Amino acid sequence: MQADPDKSFVENICLPFLRNSQNADGGWGFHPNSESRAEPTCWALQAVGGWPSRESEASLAHGFEYLRAAQLPDGSWPATPADPAGCWVTSLSCWVLSQAADSVPNVAVGLRWICKDWPADTTPWRRMMAKLSTERDVAPINISYRGWAWTPGTSSWVEPTSFALIALEHAKPQSLPPEAARRRKLGEALLYDRMCCPGGGWNCGNPLVYGVPGEPMVVPTVWALIALRHHPVQPQNVLSLQWLASALGSVQSAGSLALARICMKSYGREWPDSAPSFHDLYERNGFLESVQVAAWTCLALAERKGWLAPAGTKANR
Amino acid sequence: MMRDQTLIPAFQRPLSKVVVRRAANYEKDLSSLIQESLEAFNLRLKGKTVLLKPNLVGLDPLGVINTHPAVIAAAREGFLRLGAAQVLIGDGPALDRDTEAILESVRLRDYTGPLARTFVDLNIDDVERVTFKTHASRLKELYFPKTALGVDFLVSMPKLKTHHWAGVTLSLKNMFGIVPGSCYGWPKNVLHWAGIDRAILDINAATKPDFAIVDGIVGMEGNGPIQGTPKASGVLVLGNDAVAVDATCCRIMGLVPEHVKYLAAAGTLLGHLKLAKIQQLGESIASVKAPFAVLPAFQSLSE
Repeated sequence: MQADPDKSFVENICLPFLRNSQNADGGWGFHPNSESRAEPTCWALQAVGGWPSRESEASLAHGFEYLRAAQLPDGSWPATPADPAGCWVTSLSCWVLSQAADSVPNVAVGLRWICKDWPADTTPWRRMMAKLSTERDVAPINISYRGWAWTPGTSSWVEPTSFALIALEHAKPQSLPPEAARRRKLGEALLYDRMCCPGGGWNCGNPLVYGVPGEPMVVPTVWALIALRHHPVQPQNVLSLQWLASALGSVQSAGSLALARICMKSYGREWPDSAPSFHDLYERNGFLESVQVAAWTCLALAERKGWLAPAGTKANR
Repeated sequence: MMRDQTLIPAFQRPLSKVVVRRAANYEKDLSSLIQESLEAFNLRLKGKTVLLKPNLVGLDPLGVINTHPAVIAAAREGFLRLGAAQVLIGDGPALDRDTEAILESVRLRDYTGPLARTFVDLNIDDVERVTFKTHASRLKELYFPKTALGVDFLVSMPKLKTHHWAGVTLSLKNMFGIVPGSCYGWPKNVLHWAGIDRAILDINAATKPDFAIVDGIVGMEGNGPIQGTPKASGVLVLGNDAVAVDATCCRIMGLVPEHVKYLAAAGTLLGHLKLAKIQQLGESIASVKAPFAVLPAFQSLSE
């Protein structure tokens, strides 16, 4: 019987890389031997959790411990340990801690921070000023929709909005703040508003600049589609999923390939045989020694589905 | 360990040196051209670590958005020939977190060989907090990649382009790319909120590129930096002062550097803007001048 090449690639390359990259404090940096930070720790925890084994249990427990300890007093998580202010990484942390025992209070206070973190570009004052601006047609977007920013005090963008929606979706109902339903509605509306027309897909969040349509990109398209996957028959979802499928042939990096596969799987779509192989892409640059790319690859090839409820299910809605 | 960050007022600075070279296309022997040009600067790089910071914005199969890999590889070879112990290439693309996809779309690996040990993704490098002394913007500090702060010699390598928010994007604006996305996102929106022109000044005052090499073989006019029109200008511009290099590029583009807000301000503390303070070598500006179209909002920049 022939061994599954994807499984052996994960077990022989990706998982050992992740295990060897975990720092003594329990966290992961973006690369081996780099400083532990919340974001790569979240991706590594999702990945290691996706391939359960006896040796992964201690690694997971230590990683969750790091993440809980990295939380700031206001409930948020910073991008780097020295930073006293939280940011979008809070969504990733809440998402992954929703799967950990003993983390309910951490997630609850984290979600409260997320729901209080409004973007600065859509305050009533700014909305009025935007209506009067001579540049209102430069990048026409509906500013009554409000998502999430990368860092506090800045504008809404596709990826941080998607991550916040995913975090809110995966939380236990008792952890959700009262504003969560309203924030989710506004966030989803923002994502649909920012979709690239006419062909579907998303870029970072500028669908049109100076009259020129923005080009969709794999990474934001994946996260927006995952955040919106409970509306699988919505025309924008269908169109964007088609764009993603058509883009697979030209994907040239393991990171985008892994995320695309995660997204297609979450919609129950078949993975085409013609798609590039992870091993071939790994051979090019060794994933640039990126912890998150190795983690995404593990998740793309994992059988476990619990970390991401499939499209159309009623997970926390 | 940070490089010398001392700011020197314009009246105390020695003349800056800028070399303009013709290069009709990317198939030309750019290594020799850059090598010859670097010799004019008497750079002492033996045993030093150099970081080339190209402008990698997004997927670019046609090679008109990003600094061309042929120019990056030629510069790398040039600095190695000058005795540099290590020449790294690093950037933190602003709009797409999949840096490897961008590198593959421009085929950098074909020009430089395997990237795992030579390329640093500045978006996800370890970071260090740097407090600004200049306070041009409301930013008091930013995190910067340790690699960019730790090298001996930092080279800004932009493409010759107009920019729909800043007017032009050259050596100084290119330094936005060292601000790490892992701290500030994709795009690095905190810089827009701080004011692009002012943030450019703070970032350059804090990181001070030692040298600049501008890829103007094919630039971009109009709605740059991504959606503009390719413009074959056929030049490489090199210099030991990013402000002087950018001012020279503006003059080649038919733009008035003093009218570019951030460049005018940069001329006080970061480098020389005035023609009289720039020792011009190689081709004359007049002989390579190729006026760039700008968006209506930037008509005032044109000569």
